[in-house]
Amino acid sequence: MSEQTFNPEKGYIALLGWSLNAIEAADKFDRRYVVVAPDWAEAYCKEHDIPYVPWNFERLNDRSFEIAQTLKEMGVDVSIPLFEETVEWAGAINSVLLDNPRLFGQAMLLRDKALMKRRAQLGGIRVGIFEEAHDKEDVVRFLKRVNQTLLKLDGDPNDPIHLKAFDKAGCLGHRVIRTPDEVDTIPDEEFPVLMESHLDGWEFAVEAWIHNGKIAFLNISEYVTLGYSVFVPATPDLEKYRAQITAEIEKLIKTFDIDFGFVHPEYFVTSDGTMYFGEVAYRPPGFKVFELLERAYGFNAYQGLILSFDPKTTAEEVKAFFPKEVVDAKGYAGCFGVYPRRRVVSKLEMPEETENHEYFETHELTPPVEETVTKRTAFGTHWGLIYFFGEDPYVMRDLLKHQEELDFYV
Amino acid sequence: MSDTDAGNAVPVVNFDKLVQRLDDAIVALAESRPFAKVGKLPRLFDLARRVLLQPGGFAAIQARAEQLEQAGVFTGTDWAEPTILLPYLTTSALQSPNADTVVIEAISELRLLAVANGEYLHPSMASEQAHHYLTQVLAINLSLLFGEQGEAEREQGKLALISRGVIQHVAQEIGYEHVIDRLIDEIWRILQQRPIQVTSVRQMITQIALCRIDPDIDLGGAGQGAERLISSLYGPTQACREDPGILVYEERLQFMDNVALQSEATGFARSMHDTGLVSPYHASFVRHVLEKQDSLLTEALGLSSTGRDCLLCYKELVHALVIEGVFPETAQGLYGLALMLERGILYQPPVAPALWRQVLLNICPEACERIHLAYGHTPQPGAWLIQGVMNMLGQPLGVGQGNNPTCQSARALSMWAYNDPDYLLQMVAWAARDNEIIMHFEGKPVSSVKSEGGVASEITLDLDPVSLVVVPHLDRIYAEMGRLCVDRPGDPHKWVNPEFHGWSAGRGFAINVDVESGNLQDLEGFLRHFYASYHPYYNGNQPLIHPQPAGVAVTDSAARFIGWHAITILRVALDPEEVMRVYFFNPNNDSGQNWGDGVVVSTARKGERFGEASLPFEQFASRLYIYHSDPLERGQPADVGEDELQRVTDRVYDSWGRDRVPADIALQAEPPPSEA
Repeated sequence: MSEQTFNPEKGYIALLGWSLNAIEAADKFDRRYVVVAPDWAEAYCKEHDIPYVPWNFERLNDRSFEIAQTLKEMGVDVSIPLFEETVEWAGAINSVLLDNPRLFGQAMLLRDKALMKRRAQLGGIRVGIFEEAHDKEDVVRFLKRVNQTLLKLDGDPNDPIHLKAFDKAGCLGHRVIRTPDEVDTIPDEEFPVLMESHLDGWEFAVEAWIHNGKIAFLNISEYVTLGYSVFVPATPDLEKYRAQITAEIEKLIKTFDIDFGFVHPEYFVTSDGTMYFGEVAYRPPGFKVFELLERAYGFNAYQGLILSFDPKTTAEEVKAFFPKEVVDAKGYAGCFGVYPRRRVVSKLEMPEETENHEYFETHELTPPVEETVTKRTAFGTHWGLIYFFGEDPYVMRDLLKHQEELDFYV
Repeated sequence: MSDTDAGNAVPVVNFDKLVQRLDDAIVALAESRPFAKVGKLPRLFDLARRVLLQPGGFAAIQARAEQLEQAGVFTGTDWAEPTILLPYLTTSALQSPNADTVVIEAISELRLLAVANGEYLHPSMASEQAHHYLTQVLAINLSLLFGEQGEAEREQGKLALISRGVIQHVAQEIGYEHVIDRLIDEIWRILQQRPIQVTSVRQMITQIALCRIDPDIDLGGAGQGAERLISSLYGPTQACREDPGILVYEERLQFMDNVALQSEATGFARSMHDTGLVSPYHASFVRHVLEKQDSLLTEALGLSSTGRDCLLCYKELVHALVIEGVFPETAQGLYGLALMLERGILYQPPVAPALWRQVLLNICPEACERIHLAYGHTPQPGAWLIQGVMNMLGQPLGVGQGNNPTCQSARALSMWAYNDPDYLLQMVAWAARDNEIIMHFEGKPVSSVKSEGGVASEITLDLDPVSLVVVPHLDRIYAEMGRLCVDRPGDPHKWVNPEFHGWSAGRGFAINVDVESGNLQDLEGFLRHFYASYHPYYNGNQPLIHPQPAGVAVTDSAARFIGWHAITILRVALDPEEVMRVYFFNPNNDSGQNWGDGVVVSTARKGERFGEASLPFEQFASRLYIYHSDPLERGQPADVGEDELQRVTDRVYDSWGRDRVPADIALQAEPPPSEA
């Protein structure tokens, strides 16, 4: 049951999408809130007395105005997107609630990877070579062109290119293509896609809370292997770029005209220290980075989200809420996404070396439902996360890397 | 960059950090909103499980019992209200294969322990109430305290360490005196089945002996009945009453006169036949009199006229068996020797020469290795094997499968020891000397060496010496025979059982489960033919000639299906109360099991011979799913009364057949896996 006592001086916020962790964070915070979620959540919300408005988030349509109007009538000040699919909804709703039509256009920009890259380029942000593909021929042409540009001769191994869906979160639909033959493996229904040249850099992500157009808190998340593992804060090896990264984020804020909220961009840093922009999302990151941040710093990242969206938040509140980056962290928190390595598995068996490791916290793996493991074509979804926490970032990094060699499903 | 090397070796658990994490998880749960508590529990249960697996883990959880309960670990479950908890339900919870169930049950027990000790003032349960409850829990879970592992625990794997550990921790805190009398009854109940492997019984008795001499443990009036048990191991006679040690006792033997020796001999024999346990002093005594005056051997073995006759006929062989096989470490073999002589099987022409081969057998390095691992280096492996052979031939129904899913192999060994002793000795010779057994499946040789693998991935060492050496071979052959049947329709036991156990296993085969769907099939026909083949009132009063393999659906005390299990039907007869009973052999280590719905397997006082289990015919029929019969002898389906048939059928439907009802409705489809 909701035990919340909220501060009437502060804003009334709407959470778009269903996330129990976000709801609990809101319930423990001092802002009045309401959950906007599909109708399957209704029974649960009723049972536990969670404030709730039913809404099925599909594509925007002519009924979209209805939810904005409903929330406005309820007195809601701002809506917060929790998932990629609700970003454009938040833009549409907030443009009504805050009477700022520009917000909708901004959200659409942040939802389309190709548009987003163009905008970044216009703002003077360095990006790799990219292009939209509508069919397989486009992909083959792009692959050839990129490799010509790199002065490769016939027979030299190609540099790979990356294919991504325009509007999906993280690694969903992400493919790496090296040869024209591999192009045939892409199902037709995946088109159109965004194609990008491969950047031989170190990929990392940033989580930045923005208030009044300024960075309130900036975290750098270090990927050990993309799609497998991440930890926060980053190693000193990556943190040494903090000043440069902060400058990049400020450029991003300016280019995308972001006044409040939260961004989650990805960058590559090449060996000579040049930053390349990958993409940016206007919602909490995957891989439970919010939970990792709470473990490392002790502040609730969802509450930070509420704070940075609420138009009634003061600068003092923001200052008091967020800790000082890196120095205030009690340790390093990381997680690893488990994929079964064998073709046929029958049970979940935590490797003893993992379970007994000093850094090991807990896992959310469940026993396998099916014995045969579907072959992974794209990056796909992991079967669950395992969590670590410890004092040494290098131990953490090597530990996460080492997990890739272990079988969790046998 | 650092070159720290993470996680290559299995690291030692940092207990303090682990407990710190548990505390964090408790706080997270406590501070969590009721609607989000469910999401915090998996982490807490996982951490609690890991804490419980560490030394000191039980105490750590006990110390946090109050915080755990107040954080809401039990909220929304039966455990939330301890006054309604029933002690007898703890057994199935602790033996659950589900980690969370075991963990929450363990946390609940430790919470009540904190309440009983006055460390936690519980709002609804008084300290005395908690104490009383835990006493009952201990008594009901005695098998977890010292006993043998059963099927359920075998399925549990590492979780069983928590189940056992929590009961042991509670016993230490509550005090053994509260359970000791129950334990003594339990030991007698097991000993009445005369198992060959008595390691765990010895452990239990030693535990009691230790409790009795520990000045910190006040047993009060409890434990008086342990005297006979303790003395049977540590001082069965006048000259070793105070457990002086083997060397001192052997010195005393040098100076004993005839009367004293006579009295020692009868003392040993009485104790041995009373309990089925043999004291190491007994072995020293027998070796001593063998050198000086072997007339005392008959007395020391407690033989009847049959046994004495046999001993006199085969005196040299018996001497050789004692000299080569009976040492203080292998003293238990004396009981086997005595019973083997009583059975008169030495009069079967091949048995004595086969035993001579056994005495002189060269044992291959592989078999030596297994015996060394299980029993240590003294005496020689050959002596252990002789002990094992004597025990198996003397106590064919004392064979146990240990902690292995090898009920088929254990059953075969028992059947041969009972029915075909020289064949058993042949198997032992092949396995121990040649490290290979070849059996034939429908004319095709099946070698234990060339087989791909057995039912069990690894055979544990908690076995008698014969099983230890022979079972790995038999298990592989059994599995291989199963593989040869994969493309045949129906249950492979139909072909495997007669080929594996020998010609005397009936070629007729009946099963009441459809292998494809897992549903019951033709239950009535199955039962009528069973009555016609086995029930003396329906088969022309023909006693069973050869022991027959059969399969039962084992159920737990709540009558829920656990698994398929291989047994031997030995005989069907009226018990002292004129109830028709099936007497059978269960290769499980303890046959006395509660199969639920009133079906409690008896092991004594219902006309059972040592090692036999029994059930009234109807109850037995209700758990049976496979039997063999002679297709030429079986006549018409028995004209069993409708009432009786209905009672049996109801019992099937109320227990393991619950989800196997053959109907148009699709139900659970699970083909019977191989028996364990």
